[in-house]
Amino acid sequence: MNNNKSKHALLSVSALALMGTMLTPAASWAKDGETVIQENCLSCHTRTGNPETPFSRISEQRKTPEGWQMTLQRMQHWNGLALSPEDTQAVIKYLSDTQGLAPSETAPFRYVLEQQPNVVEDADPAYAEMCARCHSNARFGLQRRTENEWKELVNTHMAIHPTTELHALARDRRWYDIALNETAPKLATDYAFNDAAWKQWQKMAKPALEGSWSVAGFLPGKGDYSAILKAVKTSADKYSVTMSGHYSDGSELHGSGSANVFSGYEWRAGLTVDGVSMRQVLAASADGSSLTGRMYQSAHDEIGGELKAVSGNAIVGLSPAALKQGETSQVTIFGGYLKGNVNLGPGVKVVKVLSRDADRVVVEAKASAAATVGMRDVAVGATKAKAQLAVYDKVAAVQVFPPQSMARIGGNGGKIPKMQSTYRAVAFSAGADGQPGTDDDMRLGYMPASWSLKPQNEVAAEDRDVEFAGTIDSQGIFTPGDTGLNPQRKMSTNNVGMLKVVASVRDGDNTVEGESDLLVAVPSYIKRAIQ
Amino acid sequence: MKHLKSFNKKAKMLDQTTSPDQVEEVVAMQTIVGCTSTNDPGWEVDPFGGLGSLCQPMESDLYGCADACWWPAQVPDTMSNYPDWSQDVSKANEDWRKLDGIFPEEQK
Repeated sequence: MNNNKSKHALLSVSALALMGTMLTPAASWAKDGETVIQENCLSCHTRTGNPETPFSRISEQRKTPEGWQMTLQRMQHWNGLALSPEDTQAVIKYLSDTQGLAPSETAPFRYVLEQQPNVVEDADPAYAEMCARCHSNARFGLQRRTENEWKELVNTHMAIHPTTELHALARDRRWYDIALNETAPKLATDYAFNDAAWKQWQKMAKPALEGSWSVAGFLPGKGDYSAILKAVKTSADKYSVTMSGHYSDGSELHGSGSANVFSGYEWRAGLTVDGVSMRQVLAASADGSSLTGRMYQSAHDEIGGELKAVSGNAIVGLSPAALKQGETSQVTIFGGYLKGNVNLGPGVKVVKVLSRDADRVVVEAKASAAATVGMRDVAVGATKAKAQLAVYDKVAAVQVFPPQSMARIGGNGGKIPKMQSTYRAVAFSAGADGQPGTDDDMRLGYMPASWSLKPQNEVAAEDRDVEFAGTIDSQGIFTPGDTGLNPQRKMSTNNVGMLKVVASVRDGDNTVEGESDLLVAVPSYIKRAIQ
Repeated sequence: MKHLKSFNKKAKMLDQTTSPDQVEEVVAMQTIVGCTSTNDPGWEVDPFGGLGSLCQPMESDLYGCADACWWPAQVPDTMSNYPDWSQDVSKANEDWRKLDGIFPEEQK
């Protein structure tokens, strides 16, 4: 096994760590988790005598499943805790269920649980200069602690990372004093242990997730897809999962695996989809009608895309999501068990139904030249969805998503794999004012594009970053250059660079371009479940 | 500063900066998740949002980052957490291929 394969295998294991094991008797998880804590954690932690917060430190924090997983890893690494994989799972499950986060508490930070790449956070300056200098905003935003516990966290940082006080943004002020006496109390207010949201969520009936789901999603290199996801309950909060459907090019999609549910709504599944190990991080809505989040490759979490599942029969998306006036095109309606006549709204004629499957209906549709510009509701028989199809006059603007992105060099015989980045082109029509970039623009959805790179600035041009930093393929997937010293570059500089990713979208005889910034950076040697 | 003339590109960039506080604030607000915004000099980007003021190639000064626990979320700190990370690699600029990453399952 070469180094990169070995690394991928380790990442796969890491990504699946929350999957648990089918050998664990789930019905007794809650009790088992508490027993494991009593038997393994109380040589350092103590019983408080307070039934509300029975264990010192442990009972004054609330976290996501990934947060508790990191806590256990830290205890193993720092303090010699030795737990079997089954006991580790039991503790994560027990603590996530009894000291987890409510849906409203995780909502602002789901991107980090979903391992979504290229997110630019808008952190409160008080945190940006303290915690978010090294971590994501989500790292602390997904924790709830008492004020004393936030202060303990400051002191832990001082003990483990004493040079924190010497960094930029720290050395010119009373860093420790500010961290302890200003930041910690602010965190205790903004991210309070005793928030009513969690108590309320604990009392609520939790969504039932067994059954069939209509799924729509996107995967880089594969494109849009639809599927039927079937979840069969194997024991409490554990499901066997199958996915069966189609990519938008007509090829079939098949996957199977299993899922665990934490805190009543946190869906964590591991599946093999068409031979590739994938992971789903989804949140169930409180009423159990939808699951939303992201599916990504276990070994390369940057390769993935959004996934939406709606319980039972539903229309969950269209591909493409826009028709030009006068255009005849194949349109795929994503949705489960759609029966009856297809209606794409006024001015759009369904010429013929090309195929029907459990997960989709494919039609040939024609927008009349006189069709009014605007959004159309879509219906298949009695199943309806609002504002699904845009009829437009011309593409006025193209935006590249994500607008800011980063890839990391790697490979080249070293042990750190390359971290790619992937792009999509979103098209807009100008709206009534005829001017793109204004409030009345109409989003036409993702469109096929041809992709290219150019230097981001004069320095990048002078340093020939385009030549060294990587390449982009026809699917909008950027692969960065090799890691290591490059003697062909000035001072043997690494293959880092600052590029612009350019998408060119054809619209009749015109081509409309959009671009976004790409930073090709050095590797990160550290990987955490929550960055 | 009026008696000093900027000599190289980095010095000219510093000259053009209105104040260090402003530069640091701007960069801190614009960093992609996973990057550090501790920009002295910076791991992914420098205080100016570019690459010109980074230590490059990074392997040549890697242990200056690791030993000093400078970017402990990106580079293993040999001060506290991972004292053996670079034990068998005395020259990172020659033997960088031997350096591994830190992933959860490798924490023992």
